[in-house]
Amino acid sequence: MNTYVLVADSPAVSELVASAAKLGRPVVAVVVGPESVAKAVAAPGVDKVLWVSEAAGQAAEAFAPAVADLVAADPGVVFAGRKPAERVLLGAVAARLGAPVVAGATAVAAEGGTTVVTHGTYGGIAVATVAYDGPVVLVGDGGGALAGGGTAAIEAVAATPGPISVVSLAPSTVEAVDLAGAARVVSVGRGLKSADDLPLLAGLAKALGAELGCSRPVAESLEWLPKDHYVGISGQHIAPDFYLMVGISGQIQHMGGCRGAKLIVCINTDKDAPVMHQADYVLQGDLYDLVPAITAAV
Amino acid sequence: MKIVVAYQWAPDPQEATVGESGTVDFSRAKPAMSDYDATAIEVGRAVASAAGASLVGVTVGGASVAQPVATKAALSRGLDEVVVVSDPAFESAGTLPVATVLAQVVQGLGDVALVIAGDTSIDNGARLLPPVLGALLGWPVLTDVQTLQFDGTAATAARTLPEGVQTLSLTGPAVIAVSADSAKPKAPGMKDVLAAGKKPVTVKSAADVGGAPAPEGVVRSTAKPSGPARKGIKIDTTDPAAAAAELLSALRAAGALS
Ligand SMILES: Cc1cc2nc3c(=O)[nH]c(=O)nc-3n(C[C@H](O)[C@H](O)[C@H](O)COP(=O)(O)OP(=O)(O)OC[C@H]3O[C@@H](n4cnc5c(N)ncnc54)[C@H](O)[C@@H]3O)c2cc1C
Repeated sequence: MNTYVLVADSPAVSELVASAAKLGRPVVAVVVGPESVAKAVAAPGVDKVLWVSEAAGQAAEAFAPAVADLVAADPGVVFAGRKPAERVLLGAVAARLGAPVVAGATAVAAEGGTTVVTHGTYGGIAVATVAYDGPVVLVGDGGGALAGGGTAAIEAVAATPGPISVVSLAPSTVEAVDLAGAARVVSVGRGLKSADDLPLLAGLAKALGAELGCSRPVAESLEWLPKDHYVGISGQHIAPDFYLMVGISGQIQHMGGCRGAKLIVCINTDKDAPVMHQADYVLQGDLYDLVPAITAAV
Repeated sequence: MKIVVAYQWAPDPQEATVGESGTVDFSRAKPAMSDYDATAIEVGRAVASAAGASLVGVTVGGASVAQPVATKAALSRGLDEVVVVSDPAFESAGTLPVATVLAQVVQGLGDVALVIAGDTSIDNGARLLPPVLGALLGWPVLTDVQTLQFDGTAATAARTLPEGVQTLSLTGPAVIAVSADSAKPKAPGMKDVLAAGKKPVTVKSAADVGGAPAPEGVVRSTAKPSGPARKGIKIDTTDPAAAAAELLSALRAAGALS
């Protein structure tokens, strides 16, 4: 029985390969993408690469049924990251195997044909250890690039794409942010009154040597910051040395993305905001007073 | 031609109480439709009207999903009718069993050109329901979609990825998960609420869809989330400058700042 890691266009799957290896079975990476990605994934820890070649203009999602066929030929536990195409490949495998879908796993073990998973429930408000009869599919942190020097064989697999294609890609003009890898993160929420006040936060982040993140509404409703800047169960999952939350209420869906932070500091006017019970340092007060004061003090 | 919106009527885990041993109690939490599903209905309405299709809402859940307050809330947002599968057995069912029932309902409706869903569920947030549903139907799936045009057979969708704005084309039927910024849902007005009361509601039980789902796994234990215990140290903010100094020295002492 194999353990699978699904890869769609991006070889940033180090965490997934590390988790897969813990099951003690051969790790097979199923790659949809250009050959460079297949080569980058043929890394130490990966025993074999099944490579579905994706030509320019094709979408990885178009190969989801083919990926499901490959895994179904010899079913096992399957890992994939949270990017859009990765989730579509994983969903296809779950449907084909009839396998439970698990998010937020912290430990996975195989006991014969049973898969025992410890995972957060309901966005991480509690934790459960569950024994599943047969394989499961797990969605989680992709991680970074894999180390070089692997010897895994790459086996090219022919596949016919489904009816999805990429028409165009307008390259982004904003710089990509690596929140997941940042040692310090400052995030801002709806407590900020206007986009015009963002420089206040950018200044604080710069002074602290931190990346600037936000809550989901700031990115998706207000559109003050790009979408890859928001932290939470549906956004970035971060575990920095310290996380400063400014004007964020600390709803469960946000906290689900930052629970691993070593230190959490919050600034909030509301003494009853949920975040006030989930931080190491609590500053109850107005961000418009406190942010400039902290920036000046660094 | 029909366009389906798959929506969820469920309580926000923020309102659940978690016991010392990690048991989760939703009895005091009120179920609702999340903004993300309201967005999906808004997108569905625009797409259905443009394509001359009817818009059918479909949901699977516990007893609460069939209550008039729930079906009216969904219908008042612009659906033409709803089909709800309501059974205590589906109260906290996993992604696969829910998707299996949704797929069955979609197939039963016939002539469905597109299924639209919100991009995140309010409970486990795995964001895998649309992919699993699409695979069960044998249809292509796209997620994180911000703009969607559909002419009845072909769709054009755009989304923002870290590398830029990607535009894709696909031929239906398909499953599309739309992101929170794909539309700004309007609050239903009095007229919408009144009209909702007259729209068709079909309620199905587990028995109508092949029986209650088998439990997906055996729970061996539950616990409160581990993670670092939070210190909860309050810093007096009467004097912002003094508060800033206190915070910075605490961060330096903890090695979080040099
Ligand atoms: C399915 C689903 C998935 C979701 N996923 C995510 C996710 O991944 N990430 C995420 O962030 N959210 C997510 N959400 C949304 C989440 O539930 C919250 O609505 C959101 O996190 C709230 O953002 P906020 O804290 O910025 O805004 P609010 O909740 O509005 O909080 C603003 C806070 O600012 C404080 N404030 C106001 N003025 C000031 C001031 N002058 N100084 C200091 N403080 C001030 C207020 O007291 C308040 O606590 C999700 C929701 C759903 C339903």
